[in-house]
Amino acid sequence: MIVNFWGQEFRVNIILGCIGAFLLAIVASMFGFGGGPFMVPLMTVGLGLPMYVVVGSSLLAIFFNTVIGSTRHYQFGNFDLVFFLVMFPAAILAGFIAPQIAKRVSPVWVKRIACIGLLILALNLLGVY
Amino acid sequence: MTSKRFGVFIACILTWWSLSFSPRLFAQSPVENPPSQPSTPAQAQPGGPLPGQDSNQRPAQPSSLPGGVQPGQLPGPVLGLGSTPMAPPSPPTLKSGPPTLKVDKKDLDNGGTITVTGKGTPGQPVLLEVWSENDVRTSFFDSKKDKETGNIPYILYMTEAMPAYYRICVPSSLKGKLEDIKKQGGGWSYSQTLKDLGADAAYTIPGKIKIDRYQATLLGSIVGSRGDILPKMDDKENKKRSKQLIKARFRRPGQVLAPTVEIKPDGSYTAKVNIPDGAAPGKYYIAAIGDNHLRSEQITVENKTVFPNIYMPNAGTSLNIFWPFLLTLAVTMFGVLMGAGGGFILNPLLISIWPLPHTVVAGTVMPTVAFSQASGIYNYSKIKFISWKFGVVMGLAMLLGGFIGPKLTELITLDQFKFIFGWILIVLAGLMWWQTTPGYLDKNKKEQAILKEFKKRAEEAAMAKK
Repeated sequence: MIVNFWGQEFRVNIILGCIGAFLLAIVASMFGFGGGPFMVPLMTVGLGLPMYVVVGSSLLAIFFNTVIGSTRHYQFGNFDLVFFLVMFPAAILAGFIAPQIAKRVSPVWVKRIACIGLLILALNLLGVY
Repeated sequence: MTSKRFGVFIACILTWWSLSFSPRLFAQSPVENPPSQPSTPAQAQPGGPLPGQDSNQRPAQPSSLPGGVQPGQLPGPVLGLGSTPMAPPSPPTLKSGPPTLKVDKKDLDNGGTITVTGKGTPGQPVLLEVWSENDVRTSFFDSKKDKETGNIPYILYMTEAMPAYYRICVPSSLKGKLEDIKKQGGGWSYSQTLKDLGADAAYTIPGKIKIDRYQATLLGSIVGSRGDILPKMDDKENKKRSKQLIKARFRRPGQVLAPTVEIKPDGSYTAKVNIPDGAAPGKYYIAAIGDNHLRSEQITVENKTVFPNIYMPNAGTSLNIFWPFLLTLAVTMFGVLMGAGGGFILNPLLISIWPLPHTVVAGTVMPTVAFSQASGIYNYSKIKFISWKFGVVMGLAMLLGGFIGPKLTELITLDQFKFIFGWILIVLAGLMWWQTTPGYLDKNKKEQAILKEFKKRAEEAAMAKK
């Protein structure tokens, strides 16, 4: 498939992309996360697209997953309205505050800290400690 | 080129990742339909209990052992002993009366401890059954190989009527035994525990809840259906499955059993019944079960939850809502900073901190990010920064996957959920680390510069149009 972006053309192996997106969507909806951090490498490294094409389009793709995944979870009775109403405002609020903080911190350090945090959490989930 | 090599590396990770959990998925979703007959209400089986005899009264009866086979009974999932009536808790033809029961208070605020006193038969243990009026949905997927037939049943058991709180209080002399069972970790069996503690007699209420069974199939899982609903179970089978659901819902022995009944030689007893502050509001019922399964009248206690504690009906737990609010705020903020949605961190934290079912966590966290995604799409579309064709095609592939995934959530246990999530996080940590390597940063710098330039142009174009 050829992706047009601001006059530039990119040739993309859409079959690989769709398979990757499909598998990612299963896992993401199963575990209830968005999947952005996996979608972006899939599009940049797997499909060879530059970052500026990917930022918006990856968001659009995972939005499909979020909508259908939420609907299905709702169908299966996995949605708790009260719990949602507690978390939702917090997520919105975070969306306003975070960009203000982002200007003041180094993204590389945030990622390094995240890396350690994720590993600690992962080991906890795997029952290592 | 290093970036290309890295591409291969990441592709390998993704493939490995998808492969390494797919056997797990297949272990859950059936490869073929096992040729098991649905358990039919059994005709009188030789060796089964005599009609009218209460299996409950003979805990050592082999038929109540899980997987136990009657002499002469066909191997296979003919589990029903339909002719055995469900134990009415109190067969009345006995000399000693049921234990008496008194409570020190009938109203609770956000949980509390109720002191129960009464008198039973001297020298005999007294058990307390405590349950809440509020109920929650619980499911349990049976994918364990049948020891007799070697078939994997792939049956999903689901109930809407599991009490949100359920506990059996046993004599304090059994504390040591209970501690031993706790040491078994995740492999403990609720029905075995009840038997070991002699608490079978107290287990009545959840045994009667309505449980639906679905025969899962591979095709069914792909199209996202629960499968065909199987005929209703007989009472005994229902009771057996309800115990597995109890374990699925309450997870740990300490949640459903408490060695708190102090019994004096004259038969009088005191027990502390603790309703934790996260418990459901509404009515709680307490009944005492004494010698010969005699059951006292049940006493009703009312629990109130006061703001900021709010009951979450689907999760079956009440929480002080400030904590999840603050947690969500902190995690999603950090998520934005690191360039990932908060779900990766939020989900595992929520299931670790609070007794929330993983299905509800996954199903409720997902829509919370929908809004921020939508606003992001809107912002990018304003400056024409989205390739609609590409995004929609990829999105359609995700649509298919997202249709299947939520179905799989309820087929896995909490422990499997944690296990797979743990590996996902390790892969994610690897990706994060890669994004801090000098090679990536170099490339990223250039890309960011182009991105900025593009954005500037796009914004100018958007302005010019106005």
